[in-house]
Amino acid sequence: MPLLPTPAQPQRSRTDITFTDAVRRNLVLGKLQDLVAWGRKNSLWPFNFGLSCCYVEMATSFTSKFDIARFGSEVLRATPREADVMVISGTVFIKMAPVIKYLYEQMLEPRWVISMGACANSGGMYDIYSVVQGVDTFLPVDVYVPGCPPRPEALLEGLLLLQKSIATDQRPLSWIVGPQETIRAPRPSMRDLKRETRQKTTTLKPPDSI
Amino acid sequence: MLQETSTAQTIPSIWEELSKRFSPRILTPQPAQDNIPTIWADPAHLLEILRFLKSEIPNPYRMLYDLTALDERTRTHRDNQPRSDFTVIYHLLSFARNQDIRIKIALHGEAPAIASITSLWPSANWYEREAWDMFGITFTGHPHLARILTPPNWTGHPLRKDHYARATEMDIYDLTEEKEQAQQKALKFNPEEWGMTRHSQSSDFMFLNMGPNHPSVHGVFRLVLQLEGETIIDVVPEIGFHHRGAEKMGERQSWHGFIPYTDRIDYLSGVMNNFPYVMAVEHLAGITIPPRAQTIRIMLAELFRIASHLVFFGTMSQDVGQLSPVFYMFTDRERIFEIIEAICGFRMHPAWLRIGGVAADLPQGWHTLIQNFCAYLPKRLDEYTKLATQNRIFKSRAIGIGAYTLDEAIDWGVTGPGLRACGLNWDCRKTRPYSGYDQLEFDIPTANNGDCYDRVIVHIEEMRQSLRIIRQCLTNMPDGPYKSDHHLATPPRKERTMHDIETLITHFLNVSWGPVIPPGEVSCGIEASKGMTSYYLTSDGGTMSYRTRIRTPSFPHLQMIPKIIRGGFIADLIALIGSIDFVMADVDR
Repeated sequence: MPLLPTPAQPQRSRTDITFTDAVRRNLVLGKLQDLVAWGRKNSLWPFNFGLSCCYVEMATSFTSKFDIARFGSEVLRATPREADVMVISGTVFIKMAPVIKYLYEQMLEPRWVISMGACANSGGMYDIYSVVQGVDTFLPVDVYVPGCPPRPEALLEGLLLLQKSIATDQRPLSWIVGPQETIRAPRPSMRDLKRETRQKTTTLKPPDSI
Repeated sequence: MLQETSTAQTIPSIWEELSKRFSPRILTPQPAQDNIPTIWADPAHLLEILRFLKSEIPNPYRMLYDLTALDERTRTHRDNQPRSDFTVIYHLLSFARNQDIRIKIALHGEAPAIASITSLWPSANWYEREAWDMFGITFTGHPHLARILTPPNWTGHPLRKDHYARATEMDIYDLTEEKEQAQQKALKFNPEEWGMTRHSQSSDFMFLNMGPNHPSVHGVFRLVLQLEGETIIDVVPEIGFHHRGAEKMGERQSWHGFIPYTDRIDYLSGVMNNFPYVMAVEHLAGITIPPRAQTIRIMLAELFRIASHLVFFGTMSQDVGQLSPVFYMFTDRERIFEIIEAICGFRMHPAWLRIGGVAADLPQGWHTLIQNFCAYLPKRLDEYTKLATQNRIFKSRAIGIGAYTLDEAIDWGVTGPGLRACGLNWDCRKTRPYSGYDQLEFDIPTANNGDCYDRVIVHIEEMRQSLRIIRQCLTNMPDGPYKSDHHLATPPRKERTMHDIETLITHFLNVSWGPVIPPGEVSCGIEASKGMTSYYLTSDGGTMSYRTRIRTPSFPHLQMIPKIIRGGFIADLIALIGSIDFVMADVDR
């Protein structure tokens, strides 16, 4: 990770600032590769693309209550050529699959895919003749967001996970020196990571009161 | 439709009128459970009979409400019905009589065929294409009998009983380069196929592909425009990109287990989709619903109507260039979801209605939530009305744009706000009250011009009326059980079990296999947020439906787009699409 500006120090007058402090406040040192990754992670432009119900929850995450702009990802692009991330929000229909692939292929690298909702993850409720059982049968997926549809908060969590992995993936900038392939940071299952805390939950909100 | 009023007199009357005009050899009545006169007709006289019903009798059946088919080959309970392999069902609606009629045609063999009725009703076009696509029934004389819901290069007819249901019965889907190319090629639009020319006398037409992924088409919907400059000469709407096979799904889920699928039909209206489905099952099972459950259902349905209309209002204003309203309206929709979540525990698809009632009683404190909301929203609605509909740009984009007359609307099968914007005060909640709507006071908002602006105005006024209904539910919520005591109500009441082995077995079977619904056919419709939605269920006396037909309002609404927009501009088309109020799941199911 690049050295980001340190947290604000107690206010002192200008003359009190030592040389070290001044350097710490005004300079950022780090590898260019990491800086680029930091920039990418904080300005993910999503493709304005939706398939079904999940798209409504995705749209909701753009509106005031959830406000995806807090995470730098509000710049919806209507063309795949300007977008960084494609949220597969909804059911992947067999009739639609070639169109989805075509749109994905038009995105410039590096590009990411969030699979939003049970249908896109695995077909979900729809094990039926007209539905592809998971978008990962033909697209590489970076983050799977569970839910039917996932709440906007869940999508935001997925986005944060994607950002984290973008910041930690090693993606070489030079196409001459060093290894050329991207080294992906591990993408652990959140279910496994959260299991311990979840198991500690013993009291749940009763359903008969608000 | 379930009608409690004066059906006893009208049923013989239409049968008398028909038998006066036609020889009894070509008509066979079938006793119907749902008070819709059902008549088997001779295929050779189909057009004649339908023409008679549509235009020759007094108070005619002017709307082709639904057209569908049924694969009868594996059905056991047919009770003296004429022999048939495939039955085509024409469901007509008469506003003047406030009555429906169902005409059935028996077809035989592997390649059934029947005359097309597109010459009588333009809206039959897509319905017949759907029946061809799903059942392989040929409609002779149809102008363009092509697949509509499945991809153009699909093989087989999914709703036939011998077609596979699950994707996992087949090989794992893979999309190779060649397959993708082949699919793309199949989707390529060819104007000649649709009888379109590429040139006019003075210029070359431009064919513009809009969708299936376009910000203004509200989902995966494709329109191919034939343009001369900015003017639209013709449009070909293409649907089926959102076909989730909900009707086939109904044939393999238990009666109870299908409820969550109904939520996802019109995915903006949540539990309102459960409504016609559970009502139809309850009718088949003979369950009566306690008043408290009925009132809870109405209250939730009306909350969802407001939620759906708010999305409509927001996206409509966004489509014509206003960016702020949609943010306000989504924020208010969140307030509705806070209530829905407190009551149902879920946001968009709560699947809260049950066969025989609702899933649970209202939680403590629901009263305050709804009270606050009812106090909050009216002021905001006034503000939005001013903000959006009194805006000069909005007005010039919407007034006089995308207009159709009442006759056209009826001819094309338009229901809901789109029909009321033409001046007909037809609302199922008033004309065919269900679930206790007859005990509530509300008005049916109408408008006269049938243009985009009027559709918006009707929607806004409907939200105010829905608030009125919700307020009445709030003050008059009856006490009592939230679920029926009937033995087929699902899931069965827990306190009735654990007494002895018999009660335990009954409970276990009802929960694991699900209820066994007596054989029969019932069609049950409601006034949903986008128009009339009805479920036509055929039970063969099993734990699953034999056929689940879902008549959705958005399907005919989209079919009408070319008719309305020919000669307009592309910008008008965007306003029109915004004003129709549809979601693709409600079209393709």
